[in-house]
Amino acid sequence: MDSPVQPSAAFEAGSFRYAILRHVRYSLGREWGELSGRELFHAVSLAVRDRIVDAMLATERRYRERDEKRVYYLSMEFLMGRSLGNNLHNLGLYDICRDALAEMGVDIEEVEAGEVDAALGNGGLGRLAACFLDSMASLDVPGFGYGIHYEYGLFEQRIDNGCQKELPDNWLALGTPWVMERSEEQVVVPLYGHLEAMHGLQGVENSVWLDWKVMLGVPHDMPVVGHGGHTVNVLRLYAARASAEFDMAIFNSGDYLEAVRQKMETETVSKVLYPSDSVEKGKELRLIQEYFFVSCAIQNIVRAYLRDHDGLQGFADKTAIQLNDTHPAMAVAELMRVLMDENGLGWDDAWNITQRTLAYTNHTLLPEALERWPRSLVERVLPRHLQIIEEVDRRLQIEVRARFPGDEDLVRRVAIVDHHGEPHVRMAHLAITGSHSVNGVAELHSQLVKTHLVPDFHALWPERFNNKTNGITQRRWLLASNPALARLVTEAVGEGWTTDLDVLRDLEPLADDPGFRQQFRQIKRDNKLRLGRIIRDTARVDTDASSLFDIQAKRIHEYKRQLLLALYVVHEYLGIVLDGRMPIVPRTFVFAGKAAPGYWAAKQHIRFINAVAQVVNHDPRVQGMLRVAFVPNFRVSLAERIYPGADLSEQISTAGMEASGTGNMKFALNGALTMGTLDGANIEIREEVGEENIFIFGVRADEIASLRQRQAYRPRELYERSPVIQRIVDVLDGALFSPEEPGQFRWIKQTLLEGGDPFFLLADIESYIVTQESASRLFLDADAWTRKAILNVARMGKFSSDRTIRQYAAEIWGLAPQGASRRRRPSVRV
Amino acid sequence: MKLEIKNHDDVLVVRLYESRLDSYIATEFRDEMDRLAKSSRSQIVLDLSGVEFVDSSGLGAIVTTQKRLGRERDLVICGANESVTRLFKLARLDKIFQIVTDVNEALAARSN
Repeated sequence: MDSPVQPSAAFEAGSFRYAILRHVRYSLGREWGELSGRELFHAVSLAVRDRIVDAMLATERRYRERDEKRVYYLSMEFLMGRSLGNNLHNLGLYDICRDALAEMGVDIEEVEAGEVDAALGNGGLGRLAACFLDSMASLDVPGFGYGIHYEYGLFEQRIDNGCQKELPDNWLALGTPWVMERSEEQVVVPLYGHLEAMHGLQGVENSVWLDWKVMLGVPHDMPVVGHGGHTVNVLRLYAARASAEFDMAIFNSGDYLEAVRQKMETETVSKVLYPSDSVEKGKELRLIQEYFFVSCAIQNIVRAYLRDHDGLQGFADKTAIQLNDTHPAMAVAELMRVLMDENGLGWDDAWNITQRTLAYTNHTLLPEALERWPRSLVERVLPRHLQIIEEVDRRLQIEVRARFPGDEDLVRRVAIVDHHGEPHVRMAHLAITGSHSVNGVAELHSQLVKTHLVPDFHALWPERFNNKTNGITQRRWLLASNPALARLVTEAVGEGWTTDLDVLRDLEPLADDPGFRQQFRQIKRDNKLRLGRIIRDTARVDTDASSLFDIQAKRIHEYKRQLLLALYVVHEYLGIVLDGRMPIVPRTFVFAGKAAPGYWAAKQHIRFINAVAQVVNHDPRVQGMLRVAFVPNFRVSLAERIYPGADLSEQISTAGMEASGTGNMKFALNGALTMGTLDGANIEIREEVGEENIFIFGVRADEIASLRQRQAYRPRELYERSPVIQRIVDVLDGALFSPEEPGQFRWIKQTLLEGGDPFFLLADIESYIVTQESASRLFLDADAWTRKAILNVARMGKFSSDRTIRQYAAEIWGLAPQGASRRRRPSVRV
Repeated sequence: MKLEIKNHDDVLVVRLYESRLDSYIATEFRDEMDRLAKSSRSQIVLDLSGVEFVDSSGLGAIVTTQKRLGRERDLVICGANESVTRLFKLARLDKIFQIVTDVNEALAARSN
């Protein structure tokens, strides 16, 4: 028998053209000739979506037929970026769509540019969630994201007179073709009210939850296409709606305006994404946001399970729920509530299911960043949940006392409700207690979680703690975003790397091939030219693609130390204008990133960077040697242009403070060399690429911990001892970078010298300067630099999120995904 | 608000002829049930088979009725549809009230 005939590319392109024209006419009601760019994007996306929907329905059917164990990834943030290009690549339709559009006289890149980023996240945590969704779908893991359908994503950043200005990001203003509203699957979310003890059945005293209010959670589904198009999973985002049914009395009361006000107040819950670092302590709306999406998710998950199963006994065998940070930690109490109150299970059965189902990922080592909610607030908003939390706490304390008799300090330290001062609920303690797995996101980070962050819990339950080093999806961060390099790689090693990044190891011998190096270099140059055009258009700075593009692109935060790179720029500038010392190579310093609107110091750092740029870029003495640009509005679609154009990747956080970082992986995968501290995943990148292929500097995390512990760090002594440091720091006092307001940046100097330099800039700055010089010298030798860059790309296999997801699947979720990897992988199959 | 009250031996069967037991009628309902609880020593079966929706005010009114009856007398709920039953469970009222399918089952439960 003949094998089925695959449709030809020409046939596919023809059917694609037909689908686009059909949507132009019947979905948008327009003639082809009168389309705006945005409408064209919409029509093309709808044509793509038709194919996705077929695969999405088939995927769900397959999961149900096989009664597959499902994974639910609960996250406050999903930084999805644009979907069209990524979906086309994963469907294997990119070239066909490009050709079809070309025949219609349309450039596919212009169509892609018509898409607004779905910026439903702040940074690494949200982007990690998006990469994980891509990997789960590509590995045929039944994995579903659950989050919030924010009406406003992360703010749009503009730079006005050197300062950050925030504008609302109304990403839904013009509609999105990717989201499907599922009103019929809405869930009722109760909150507020009070508990009342009552004499119940069989004479048992019971508390009832009365006078609650409700809001509705309306699901919005966004398809997530796996590579090859075989699996299409779903990201389910909930929008908060007022309940007309529950609020009928208000509307009937005749006070229409009050009714509308209450309706609007309810719907603010999914109105806006909180920028990180700016969540006011105890902010009620944030607590409600967290609970809202957790409650929607848990209710939906339990309901979906009961649709295909009798009873909940087997729930944990078929369900895994991963908590992305503590934001969804209320899932512990909500799952207990749903199992006990709504489904009649007893405490022990419910607790057994809860612990076996939930797993928690920690993302921060900063104790002050661990979420705590005032007990009084939780009691007012979620009285039944507080009751459950306190019962969990009571049982935890019994366990601790039984295992460590007499150690009341330990009991107090691990307690979920902290009664020191105003009582607070410690969400990390709740998440750890209610989960069977607690993981960090890089080797160093996971170690520090055990030894520094929650050592008491590690002593209690060492078997729960594990590491899952973060990863990135190569489909978005190389295949889609750097097509020229992706093509070169595919020509060299075949296309297997798109699903098994370890295949890139086959590039290693080519690092010694002059022809390959030349091609690699040319691609980097073209990408720098492309990035240069963006810099010119957005930052109004001209660049030279032959200079070393030295880039730091990430959220602006003191611990990430954009200031350190800025001070290095100052050092280079002063070297030229005061000492007449020419830099070893011309450099273009590029900064990009957003500061939380309420984070004054970070916003001042942006101002300082722009002030330095203003002086450097206009000083004829440094022309052709130094350029500085702050590229505004860093987001996924901009990152896709920045990483391919970088020579040097700045990963210079204070050691011990960055959990993992994933920008470091994206830069390296695109052929940038890393300039980094021994922090987060930098350490593992060094292990993989070899210490000769990475620039490492600075004080180690254990040294910093020791300095802190002994209170032995003396930044002023460093300043007084070093003329180099003095010259850089003293500039902050004067008018050089703030001629209109001399001393504007004096506070930075004060922070460094009088404020204890909490992020250890002065401890690291001299070794940073020396290491930067090594980078410059290497850059002079283009062949040597390119060789190392190729080796970096070749050795990035470990940092695929496919590897991370395989580990989560086998070691936490109890399932083994399909697909092979050359890397030795866990063989657990449950 | 319309209530139908039938006496079966020592049991009062109260049927609410409203599609919604919400804050709009909760106070009137509570007062009427209060009056019934005071005027009789009978058990009460509350038939919600005509009710499509109950909100937390409605649940509160039912709880108040139970309090009026005291520990000696029970309030039995019957005829609640699926979504109303779900709200009873949400409020944990299934731990307080016996919830049965219909009036016959309620009466049978009383006689047992």
